Amino acid sequence: MELNTFISRLFSAAEAAGIAPAEAACSQSDSFRVRVRRGELEDYQVSENAGLTLRGRVNGRIGTASTQALTEESIPLLIQGVLESAALIETDEQDDILPPDDSYASVCNDSEAVTALTAEQKIALAREIDEKLRSDDPRLTPDTCAVATGEETFTLKNTLGLDLSHHSNMIYAMANVVARDGEHAATDYETRWGYGLDAIDAETLAESCKRESLMKLEAGRMKSGAYPVVIKNSAMGDLLATFCGVFSADNVQKGLSLLAGREGETIASASVTLTDDPLMPMGMASCPFDREGAATHTKHILENGVLKTLLHNRKTAKKAGCKTTGNAAGAGRVAPTNLFFKPGKLTQEELLANLGDGLFLTEVTGLHAGANPVSGDFSLLSRGYEIKGGKIVRAVEEFTVAGNFYQLLKDITDVGSDLLFETSPIGSPSVLVKSLSVAGA
Amino acid sequence: MVSSSVCEHVLARALSRGGTFAEIFIEDSRNFSMSLRDGRIENAALSRPYGAGVRVYDGLRSIYVYTCDVSESGLLRAADRAAAAVTDTPKSVGDIKLAERANADIHPVKTPFLSVEASRRAEILRKADKAARAVSSNIVQVSAGLLSREQHVLIANSEGLYTGDTRVYTRLLCSAVASDGKENQTGMRNPGALMGFELFDSRVDPEKTGHDAAQSAVTMLTAPYCAAGEMPVVIAGGFGGVIFHEACGHALEATSVAPGMSVFAGKLGQQIAAPCVTAIDDGTMPNEWGSENIDDEGTPTTRLVLIENGILRNYMVDRLNGRKMGMAPTGSARRENYTYAPTSRMRNTFIAPGHDDEDEMIRTMGDGLYAAQMGGGSVNPATGEFNFAVQEGYLVRDGKIVSPVRGASLIGKGEQILMRIDRVGQHMTMGQGMCGSLSGSVPTNVGQPTIRVSSLTVGGK
Repeated sequence: MELNTFISRLFSAAEAAGIAPAEAACSQSDSFRVRVRRGELEDYQVSENAGLTLRGRVNGRIGTASTQALTEESIPLLIQGVLESAALIETDEQDDILPPDDSYASVCNDSEAVTALTAEQKIALAREIDEKLRSDDPRLTPDTCAVATGEETFTLKNTLGLDLSHHSNMIYAMANVVARDGEHAATDYETRWGYGLDAIDAETLAESCKRESLMKLEAGRMKSGAYPVVIKNSAMGDLLATFCGVFSADNVQKGLSLLAGREGETIASASVTLTDDPLMPMGMASCPFDREGAATHTKHILENGVLKTLLHNRKTAKKAGCKTTGNAAGAGRVAPTNLFFKPGKLTQEELLANLGDGLFLTEVTGLHAGANPVSGDFSLLSRGYEIKGGKIVRAVEEFTVAGNFYQLLKDITDVGSDLLFETSPIGSPSVLVKSLSVAGA
Repeated sequence: MVSSSVCEHVLARALSRGGTFAEIFIEDSRNFSMSLRDGRIENAALSRPYGAGVRVYDGLRSIYVYTCDVSESGLLRAADRAAAAVTDTPKSVGDIKLAERANADIHPVKTPFLSVEASRRAEILRKADKAARAVSSNIVQVSAGLLSREQHVLIANSEGLYTGDTRVYTRLLCSAVASDGKENQTGMRNPGALMGFELFDSRVDPEKTGHDAAQSAVTMLTAPYCAAGEMPVVIAGGFGGVIFHEACGHALEATSVAPGMSVFAGKLGQQIAAPCVTAIDDGTMPNEWGSENIDDEGTPTTRLVLIENGILRNYMVDRLNGRKMGMAPTGSARRENYTYAPTSRMRNTFIAPGHDDEDEMIRTMGDGLYAAQMGGGSVNPATGEFNFAVQEGYLVRDGKIVSPVRGASLIGKGEQILMRIDRVGQHMTMGQGMCGSLSGSVPTNVGQPTIRVSSLTVGGK
């Protein structure tokens, strides 16, 4: 069924069942992905998908139900689901369903250039990357490369006059290489993304994959101890993505973050400014409205080390006695949009020079297991380079880097200029950190 | 769901421009989730994942098209989009005649989750919450969740298969936060099974689940950081089996073996583990979290010996990688849902019981680490590098457990750790996890008896 027809029938059925007000959130997406491995087009995937969530108030409580089938028989299922859900919910403060805000900013993160790409063009790009991944060096084996595009339209409508819609798209490419030499093995995985073919340069993607995997190959082991560390932009982005939940007012109010009552206090080094920017032009997560239909705006979470605000939805804002920051993420949760540490002035080389002797941390893995977003503790399998006198001495592997995110924020002494969003709306420049614990040989 | 004649029509269209094999996977599921925080029910939501995937083999290339439009016209459109991508293979499949195949139900369900009244569902969460809070006044937060999934699948392919399966999952998630005001520590327990609400009659006691999660958090709150270094490690059973899952299991999946990327590619019949290690991947264990009647390509599930007394015996193989490797599928093809093409995955994967005494392992280990509860982990199958978090660890000095330690992680390489297992206990237990890989996140059991690894790198502070 066509979306608007489905929603209007759904709202009629909701009203008849005593659900008022009601709200429908719907995501409609198209995707394309092609994977090439050593000359062979190995995998080709396309999709058209949708998902719709109905929320509605029944006897003061808001119930939720969702479906992927926009068909007649889904309507009674959604209605019954909302009624049952509302009967179970016991919390007082819930995501509210409200009329639209007065005005919404306009922000663009889609491009005709992505929509216009043909399957042939995307396959040709994947083949070009695969081609460039090949090498005369017998130690190198290309693994796979992929090119993908996605289009999404998010629609939010309610029975109080809210009627919003936002379209986004992007193109993404990845390449993966394995380097082997006797007992040693190393892989490198790199991605690029943007809004047209010009965002992805096959040559630099493939070359960087080959160069990095070879650099990692002859890796030694780091001696256990505490070291000053430069954390590479991509690895710092991974850490921020893992721990950004500590800035969620929802987590704070539930005792899952240690930032309760700390607004206005200095909790990070003066060189740290952290911004959530839903209105970033061409940002991956840009959108003029959040999942509650609240208008979004740009704000500093940390400004020169001072905690300026937590991220709120209407529910947490009401409880805290402030205004929503437009970060409702659905199901009562709060999430950042485009989130990043403000870049400084130093290049990566200058950061390493300031480091002197220590560790250049380039990769952290197993974040879902080795990092605890509630305590802030992390102990992560890592890779990187040993640095002496500001220069790379050798690659190092099989060690863990341990620390605590709250302490890490305080220990950042320098921030690089190389802000990177590595196929994620959460990004960071490289940073220099006073000390982290390394467990190696 | 969709008749065999419609499926025949769709399969024929998918192969209309060539291809050597076509398959339809249709899913209509009912997921219910409910969560409690601050002692109150915070969320409760029913959802209906519903859609279909059409797959065509174009030589050894996989073409996959998925859609949430499961009407006949929607399926035909998906088939046409798949056919349009076929380039290499001439038309070779004859008329498709589907015959329905019924499968033995080896995982019967007694009490469908959604038939249970809401108040009884809520009661499970309240029991876990209450038991957790009773452990200590330092428990500041308890999050408890109930998940149920009823997945109905229909699978038809150009070799004449037309079959279906229903998988019913129930799981209790409980995590507790202990705090002294300055620091937080968490503990969690997440038991589940391939069954309905009877999970709580026989297998899972919500009060014990809550209590154990809270006890872990409280124990870790006062624990010092684990010291780093190389040392012997004893790993308890249950979720401790994650070590085999990551260190070895993923590298035995055809996904990494077929393209020759796995460290274990080409090693069938060779010794890859210490002789005390026998490892099994078994999808037939009645009502276990990782079990199924048939896999997501319709192949009946199997019990597969991966390693027998240290010798590599089998890989886990799906249909397409089987064609590439010249091996028969092992009933191991799985996918999170219709938005993924299936590939080879683990089911219930465990180290089989051995002959060693658990007390002796610790008594004779000298100084090291006892990992009582493991967290998750991950692996790079091409290099074998793995990492695991130790959720609850204890320092061992001179063969005696001395004190709890926090923040430990275990790292190393798969080939090494398998050879360094020097003790395997007698009582195998399993734990439940969600395993993420190419075809999404699927329920898997990990398991083992208590084992000892003679030397491992322990990360800490």
